[in-house]
Amino acid sequence: MINIEQIIELLKLGKLIPEETVYSICLKAQELFIQEANVSHVDTPVTICGDIHGQLHDLLTLFEKSGGMENTRYIFLGDFVDRGFYSLESFLLLLCFKLRYPDRVTLIRGNHETRQITKVYGFYDEILRKYGNSNVWRYCCEVFDYLSLGAIVDNQIFCVHGGLSPDVSTINEIRAIDRKQEVPHEGAMCDLLWSDPDDVDTWSLSPRGAGFLFGKNEVNKFLHENGFDLIARAHQLVMEGYKEMFDGGLVTVWSAPNYCYRCGNIAAVLRIDDDMSRNYTIFEAVQPQDSVGNAIIPTKKPQMDYFL
Amino acid sequence: MITLDTNSPSKQAILKMMQRESSGDCEMEGDEINNGNNKENSHLMNGEHINNNDINIQVNNTDLKRVKVYVLEDNEWKDTGTGFCMGKIATETSMAKIATETTETTPTPLNETSANPNVTKLVKPKAFLVVSNEEVPNQVLLESKLEGNVEYQRQEETLIVWKDVEGHDIALSFEESVGCDTICNFIVQVQRNFERNISLVAVRSSDTGVGSVHEIIAGPISLPSIDQKQTTPTLMEALRILNGNTVYDYLKNETVEFVLKNKYIDLLINYFHEAEEKQCLKDLLLLSSIIKTLILYNNRDIIELMVDDAHIMGIIGILEYDTEFPTMKANHRSYLETSGPSFKEVFPTENNDLKEIIKKCFRLQFLKDVVLVRFFDDGNINLVLDIILDFETCIINFLQMDPFLTRIMNLYEPQDKQENNELISILTETELKEKKRDGIKLLHQCVQMSKNLDLSDKTKFYRYLIQKDLFNVLQYAFNIETDSNVRIMATDTIITIIEHDILLIQNIQHEKSSNTDNSDPDHDENDIDNSDTPGKQTEDMKLLSILSTILLTDKSPGLREQVVQALNTLLHPDGCINGNGEGEYDSDGMLSNFNNNSLMDDDYGDEQKWFNSTMDMAREIDMNDLQLKRYFKNFYDQIAPKLFAPLISNISTDVKNIQYDDYLLIHIVKLLSFISTEHNRIMSRKFILENGILNTVSKLVGRDHILQLRLTAVRAIKNIVSLNDKYYYRYMISNNLFDSMFELLKNNINKDNLANSCIQDFFKIISTNCAPIIPSTNENNTTETTQLKSNFLLLSKYLVERFNDLLIQFDDLPFVKALLIQNEIIHDGILDKGEEFDGDETLENIPTEPLTEEDQITEEARDETHDIEMTSVETDSSVNQNGKRVYSEI
Repeated sequence: MINIEQIIELLKLGKLIPEETVYSICLKAQELFIQEANVSHVDTPVTICGDIHGQLHDLLTLFEKSGGMENTRYIFLGDFVDRGFYSLESFLLLLCFKLRYPDRVTLIRGNHETRQITKVYGFYDEILRKYGNSNVWRYCCEVFDYLSLGAIVDNQIFCVHGGLSPDVSTINEIRAIDRKQEVPHEGAMCDLLWSDPDDVDTWSLSPRGAGFLFGKNEVNKFLHENGFDLIARAHQLVMEGYKEMFDGGLVTVWSAPNYCYRCGNIAAVLRIDDDMSRNYTIFEAVQPQDSVGNAIIPTKKPQMDYFL
Repeated sequence: MITLDTNSPSKQAILKMMQRESSGDCEMEGDEINNGNNKENSHLMNGEHINNNDINIQVNNTDLKRVKVYVLEDNEWKDTGTGFCMGKIATETSMAKIATETTETTPTPLNETSANPNVTKLVKPKAFLVVSNEEVPNQVLLESKLEGNVEYQRQEETLIVWKDVEGHDIALSFEESVGCDTICNFIVQVQRNFERNISLVAVRSSDTGVGSVHEIIAGPISLPSIDQKQTTPTLMEALRILNGNTVYDYLKNETVEFVLKNKYIDLLINYFHEAEEKQCLKDLLLLSSIIKTLILYNNRDIIELMVDDAHIMGIIGILEYDTEFPTMKANHRSYLETSGPSFKEVFPTENNDLKEIIKKCFRLQFLKDVVLVRFFDDGNINLVLDIILDFETCIINFLQMDPFLTRIMNLYEPQDKQENNELISILTETELKEKKRDGIKLLHQCVQMSKNLDLSDKTKFYRYLIQKDLFNVLQYAFNIETDSNVRIMATDTIITIIEHDILLIQNIQHEKSSNTDNSDPDHDENDIDNSDTPGKQTEDMKLLSILSTILLTDKSPGLREQVVQALNTLLHPDGCINGNGEGEYDSDGMLSNFNNNSLMDDDYGDEQKWFNSTMDMAREIDMNDLQLKRYFKNFYDQIAPKLFAPLISNISTDVKNIQYDDYLLIHIVKLLSFISTEHNRIMSRKFILENGILNTVSKLVGRDHILQLRLTAVRAIKNIVSLNDKYYYRYMISNNLFDSMFELLKNNINKDNLANSCIQDFFKIISTNCAPIIPSTNENNTTETTQLKSNFLLLSKYLVERFNDLLIQFDDLPFVKALLIQNEIIHDGILDKGEEFDGDETLENIPTEPLTEEDQITEEARDETHDIEMTSVETDSSVNQNGKRVYSEI
């Protein structure tokens, strides 16, 4: 049996977790996620968090600033991996919290939680560097396929990584997606993870090449049809950490401060209380310290000898 | 520094005026003028260190170039005539006292007759631009000396403008841009050789059309101090200068040359040790910034220099200090020296150059991934990646020329062959085992390294490896080696090669087997049955066989994942066609037919006929096509029964001795899905149906298994349903293979979980495929499309009838509701039509007993199949007509 508490402590220090342990964690996580809905229901009070992108130490700050796992529920809107130096540790930490507190953590899939994207944007390389082979990456990708596509807070807030889809007008339509697959290049599942809000009159082509741009009309229609007040999503860097749009009908939450270690932005999480009030908590990037986790030099050090 | 004041209205005006004049009769040639890359003639231009009188005249007079001369008078450009311009060198001997500012170096006396050491006879060259009147050759229109700190501007293609030391504004408008090039080149050479303070600036209108772009072509340049005694101020000044010099290519190139020629980096490293001793943090941080700035010069020589044996430790030492984190220091040196990866040699080689390259390559990666990981961004990392790639190419190429790799491969040969091998026979058993492990690590590393190489280089290298019996290594790894990490590396190696080009392995195997078969006079490559003896494993199945065995027997989850990936690649027909790097296999012709599922309506199971008919084509097209066909035939004959053994339900002996774990079964069911959708339908369907595989898959949906597997099995069924293949439909309906899925649904109907979603998706597939078709203007089209629906309509009807009670309870699920509604419609439609066709008849026509193997292969069964087919076609069209009418009525 794996000792979750112990692994959590190791992860917080940015320590390498053995391949077999990662495998066990991933299997356990699959068992939990397979019982979850494509769009799960979450009660207040809850803290909604945006992109993390492998910034483990900022993730730790996030928990610290927002009350911690013992005091509030969390919804993570995806993009746990890529870009940052600690994709694996960040994702595993969230999985471990999920295993430890299954009812308090909801993990939603982001557009980076796919095989194709992680091969390009860092997670795959990080695993190769840390383990010398890609197995751990494969285990994690398998878990990605099981992640939820969205969440609903108290029947009033729809949480999703990217945004809306022209193929989805009601939540019921999301339920009929067999989500256990690599994110397709088009269709409802793709749009939920890729779309962006914008100042457009109707569904428009997205410059990202996947998903759509949607505007106030689409948001109002969706909110009205489903009886929601708010769409909470992530997916786009916001220098101020969060940004409300469309008369408060949509909010972008971004939780990776100083994104890529150079963007200079601050981060935010959104807390929804029992009275449905919205409170934003702002936080900055952790200062790098030597030998305390977020070292100046990340754990990208090569582990393998080289030969002739 | 040079001031760039060219936007005065007068100069703009003359520019426009002259453009008008010149554009009429001369073509604007886009010739680039020499922008300072001409290293041979260039000297370093640092007034502090290099004597201005150290002259070696390499400037010659130019040809005559036709120009118009303008002079600015009272703010107006005055045309002073047309003539021929020449860049002219005039040397006059003069007695000159050595200027006080040049005392550091003794000037080279060019005149050997000099007697007085204090007074040297110098050749003091002078350069002029001379224009002689074209009508009166003796009349000089202009004689202007190149001197002082005059800035020459080349405006666009044909204009040179300057203000001479006396303050006259002069402009030369050339007839041709080539002429202008010549004179500009002259100015550059003069600047480089003796008049160092003059400069030449190119001014072009910017791409946006607003404003202009200035670029220094030649001119004085500031460079850092190369005094051995560095101080905080000299370092600060150096950093300022180095940053400033990145602005223009000219300054950049000159600076790079300066850095290399003066061993500037050695100088910095020397001072670094001193500063570290003194613990002078400010200087250490300055040094770090200087090194980073030099890296940003993006110069290959500088970067390579930094990672060589003599400099690497100094460089990463300096980079341990970082202005971004001034209170901290990294520990790169101690990491590399003690705890980090070390360089190992399986068999020592004498080739020191290669060792050096391997080390440099590693260090560069270390810089990229660790030391400078925060510093590099997408923009400035390309050069580093390029250098790494060059190193890698070099290493891989070397390995193929040196006997080195042969020595490694000999490790895995059978023992009797090794006895004569001097290198190996002296090893003890443990040493040999260790060497074998290291050898696999080495091969893995080389193949990983080759991933970024050019396609042709990769092909060459992999071909070499396979010819050197890479398979011996694999055999060793899978049969003898116990360390699963090493086994994983071996699989990874093979995956990389097959992902690059599957046929590569097969072709070489083929070549090898042909060579050994040459003694056989009856051997005929075109005779496909030759390799078809049941039970006998053909050479091209060797790898698939190894992989299948690993998958079914090895418990390591990582290895399983890899093997599955390898199998997927090896069994992907597209990969076989397109995945090669040499383009020698044509993807046109029959190959594209190979996977063409439009063949599915051919006689069921008449694979041989299909085979033979395509054989003739194959001969005409390409031997490789034939090989591919043979390959898949061999797969289904030899490998598939073994690989899919866990799914084969043999009706007579329905007892399985081996218990397969659910995680393995997930992989196998996924592979099954894969072959059913990607392979030639006739081949894969025959295999799947004749082995009762779908019965097992249906059972896997049952409650005895983990949910992940149950849903994987549901997905396999969904994939097969999506194929819209009547034989599969008939089989699954007659065997009631959907029962387990409905059982699963029943248990999860009130749970909002993945099982529920997964089955809802199944209903979605059926109901969307049954959905009414919007009547098209093209009658034929509609008919065709509706025919495509017939299988789904049949299934929908079957499901609604068989699971009616259950489905009615679920009608809040949108797609179940759609299914029910659709069936109502169809049913009503048929009732309208009445006597001719009744939906129930369709079901009666389906054999109620499961199809047995015998049924399927006997002629009788085949006839029966035909009957059903006929009926179905009728049914289809009836439904179609009825359905269509009803839809259009709605």
